[in-house]
Amino acid sequence: MSFELTTLFLIGSSYLVLLFGIAYITDQGWIPTRIVRHPVVHVLSLGVFASVWAYYISIGNALREGYGFLANSIGISMAFLFSPLLLKPLLELTRTYQLSSLADLMAFRYRSPWAGTATTLVILVGVTPLVALQIRAVADTANMLSAEASQGLVAVGFCLLITLFAILFGTSHRAGRTRHDGLVMAIAFESLVKLVAFLGVGLFAVYGAFGSFAELDTWLATQPELIQNLKDTDYFSSFHVLALLFFTASVAMPHMFYVTFNESNGQSSLSFASWALPAYFLLISLPVLPILWAGLQSGTDAQVEYFPVAIGIAYDQPFLTLLAYLGGLSAASGLIIVITLALSNMCLNHLILPLYQPSAKHDIYRWLLWHRRILITALIWAGFLFHYLSETQISIQTIGTVAFTACLQFLPGLVSILYWPQANKTGFLTGLAAGVFIWFLFLLLPLFTNADPLSLVAINWREMAALSLIVNSILFVGVSLFSPTTDEERSSADICTLDTIRRRKRSGLVAKSPEEFIRSLSKPLGEKAARREVTQALQDLKFDISDRRPSSLRSLRGRLEANLSGLLGPSIAREIIDGYLPYSVVSEHGTTDLNVIENRIETYRSNLTGLAADLDNLRRYHRQVLLDLPLGVCSLSDEKEVIMWNRALTKFTGIDSSDILGSPLEDIPQPWQQLLETFLAEDTNHSYKQSFLLDDQSKTVNLHKANIEKPGAGTSSREGVIILIEDITETEILEAGLTHSERLASIGRLAAGVAHEIGNPITGIACLAQTIRDEYPEGELGSLAKQIIEQTDRTSKILQSLVNFAHAGSQQPRVDYTAVALRQCIQQAITLVSLDKKAKDIDIQCHCDESMRIMGDEQRLLQVLINLINNARDASRDGGTIKIEAYSRNNRIFIGVTDQGIGISESIKDRVFDPFFTTKEPGEGTGLGLSLVFSIVEDMEGDIDIISPVDKTQGTGTTVLLSFPCYHDDSDAEIERHEPDAQATLTE
Amino acid sequence: MYIPRSILILLVIIYLLFLVSVDWINEADGAWYRPFLVGLLVVVWASWTHRERDSDEL
Repeated sequence: MSFELTTLFLIGSSYLVLLFGIAYITDQGWIPTRIVRHPVVHVLSLGVFASVWAYYISIGNALREGYGFLANSIGISMAFLFSPLLLKPLLELTRTYQLSSLADLMAFRYRSPWAGTATTLVILVGVTPLVALQIRAVADTANMLSAEASQGLVAVGFCLLITLFAILFGTSHRAGRTRHDGLVMAIAFESLVKLVAFLGVGLFAVYGAFGSFAELDTWLATQPELIQNLKDTDYFSSFHVLALLFFTASVAMPHMFYVTFNESNGQSSLSFASWALPAYFLLISLPVLPILWAGLQSGTDAQVEYFPVAIGIAYDQPFLTLLAYLGGLSAASGLIIVITLALSNMCLNHLILPLYQPSAKHDIYRWLLWHRRILITALIWAGFLFHYLSETQISIQTIGTVAFTACLQFLPGLVSILYWPQANKTGFLTGLAAGVFIWFLFLLLPLFTNADPLSLVAINWREMAALSLIVNSILFVGVSLFSPTTDEERSSADICTLDTIRRRKRSGLVAKSPEEFIRSLSKPLGEKAARREVTQALQDLKFDISDRRPSSLRSLRGRLEANLSGLLGPSIAREIIDGYLPYSVVSEHGTTDLNVIENRIETYRSNLTGLAADLDNLRRYHRQVLLDLPLGVCSLSDEKEVIMWNRALTKFTGIDSSDILGSPLEDIPQPWQQLLETFLAEDTNHSYKQSFLLDDQSKTVNLHKANIEKPGAGTSSREGVIILIEDITETEILEAGLTHSERLASIGRLAAGVAHEIGNPITGIACLAQTIRDEYPEGELGSLAKQIIEQTDRTSKILQSLVNFAHAGSQQPRVDYTAVALRQCIQQAITLVSLDKKAKDIDIQCHCDESMRIMGDEQRLLQVLINLINNARDASRDGGTIKIEAYSRNNRIFIGVTDQGIGISESIKDRVFDPFFTTKEPGEGTGLGLSLVFSIVEDMEGDIDIISPVDKTQGTGTTVLLSFPCYHDDSDAEIERHEPDAQATLTE
Repeated sequence: MYIPRSILILLVIIYLLFLVSVDWINEADGAWYRPFLVGLLVVVWASWTHRERDSDEL
């Protein structure tokens, strides 16, 4: 069976066009996000690891090493089953610091551009054979299907199409750090196709080639050497090395690093992959043995590795053959696309950018995009060149092994990132160089020459791979222990090591605002890119561009470094950030950002168990005590940054802790800033009764402070200062009120004495007036005498009221109250007020129904009205009008005294009833009038209210509104109830 | 360093399973797919432990 070259080309092209279509519609958003971001899609995209190795080479491995062929699946399954030990912490690290490749990670951890460059070079050299392997597998299988399909021609065509796809969908975004949903979807589809194709070929092997499982078993029974080879435990000798090889490759290989970390949907997605990816590899390993046996049974002379395609040819199954071919094409193309995409970023960040950086005049994003495209093309064609130059008799299994062994050299460096903080760049680079030298000499070189250096040392490739790893590890550990480690490396190791909380220094920055950040970064990046990066970082952190707090600026700096790391690699990013956004002072060792530690512990909390959890509970308890303390607590660092601002202080100052934490003292709003700064400058640790104005109201506080000593550093060294702010405003008011009351009581006693003394001459005047009245009952003199008597009577009652007011509880008993005719009382008050000839000329109008009555004391009500009319008159202009109105509503009588005066301001409205409060000039008023009015009205079960201004437009006029219960004359009802007959008689 | 307990249990189980299953897999008259049954068991166990741990995920 043979296919025409055009048919193969059409099938291959159609398949790749289908991939284009899937990637395109995904990028256009035609596929719902819940599908694109589904964990299953991520798991399938991780299936990119099942390359030609799993699809073709594992068949040959199964024949040679029995169950040893499972090393590939077991290696990657172990990495994902135990993802919390390696993959999850690395995911957290790469996402936080935007590390997009292994080289980024190494450069970040070992704080050396050389670490990144060396990693890139080794990966580049190591992975190129793997790319070549994929190209060769596609070319070989195409050659099997069509005699006219020369390997070279197919390889060129395949490389062209793959280059186009990788450029179109791998670099469709200008910024390198964005997700490539279209690409991920296409890769996931490829993984599905190769799984379906492989399972399809496997099923055919069992049911098509053998007929059934039973017949397969029967055939196997006739092949004892196959069974013996399958179950021969000799494979264990290479199994461990191979499994370790694939374990490392599943993390270190650029395509796996890219899909696992860059295109991941987060920890939950990785959790799902932890068991789903092993399940995928279990499924893809399942058909290997049936395919091998079916191929052997068919007697095909094809290379064992290509049995999946050969079976179809042997059994004359064109559809199956093409399906198997497509599966292989999927496996190869998926790996090449992702690997070259990831490698292009590594090369750009670690090989090109350290040597040449675009000037700020260029559009940096466009520059990066085009260089990435050029690199992708170069890498794919480097793979083609390798395939073209390598010895054709060398098996694809050997090429694959060489590629995977290169990645093994990163195992010590990778594990140390998370678990060995003492590791340093010297150790890493020395170990890597030694391991890579052995790999290059004994494993890579033989691919191009006929020499076999392994035979010289009489060990096989597995032992050599293990030896390279051992030499690498020993040198790595030894050199790391005996060579100096820089502070930067220590800090980086702290960040990466799992049991250490990140310690960020609390230093100030030279740039004091996000706008200054933009100006500084414009120099290396250009104004446009700098603004875009700073805005992006602010958005990521949910900060405002006006946020100038040092802690926010430090976070912004860290975020910018991480974001630029995603774009330019960590080395260049660090160089730019350190160069253009430097710290203003080198901070003292140990001055760490406590807020950051706090946040980290909060997020890590559910992982704390045992003693750590107890300590955390203790920490939280102490923190809660400070937060809930009813005193204001403010803690300042040595650089006068606010570290703590508790709830009582938030309530007292109205400044929320989230707005103030991390701010310098000078950014605290007034008057608090001045208050705290003055207090901090004082030598004393306690300051009592500090008064200041807050929103026009006087506030009084007691302040206390204490130094926070550095743990274990003695009393001479302090880490900050804690300030307690005690709000004593209420206490002050109470104290003032108490003093005032005391004074009032004294005045009251004095007034009572004075009243008593005045009472005697008044009585004398009254007696004399009575005598005159009796002597002259008629005429003007008699009338004047009557008026004198009335006035002395009134004066006596006023004096009695004053005495009553002074002696609390001595109010007149309720029984004295009688029905008071309001109109009459008002008229009398008007008459009396009019007697004052020196007063202003005021028109006093009375609007009161004759029948209105209230229950009360007429004299006291008269006193109330006289006081109110006098006040109204004093407030009015000459020729003004005072209106006295009385009306009944809701069973109450309202009496309003309204003037057209200047009104009462809001600020003093609450105080006008206070004794001795007056707005009149000294000597003109005692301040007792309204207070007496209030007291009398309250005695008469009434209410008093002030409405001012009456005229809202001009802001003038005041109404004093009195209200009393309506008076009901029950006597008639009584008569009606008890004497109905008498009432009836009266009616008659 | 924090290592989730479920991972430690999984590690122990896989090790024990490996010890127990090696002989069982390599029995001369044993079915060829026995390693896959062991693999299936590990995957099922892993899916259960990972689902358990998700509730405590950060």
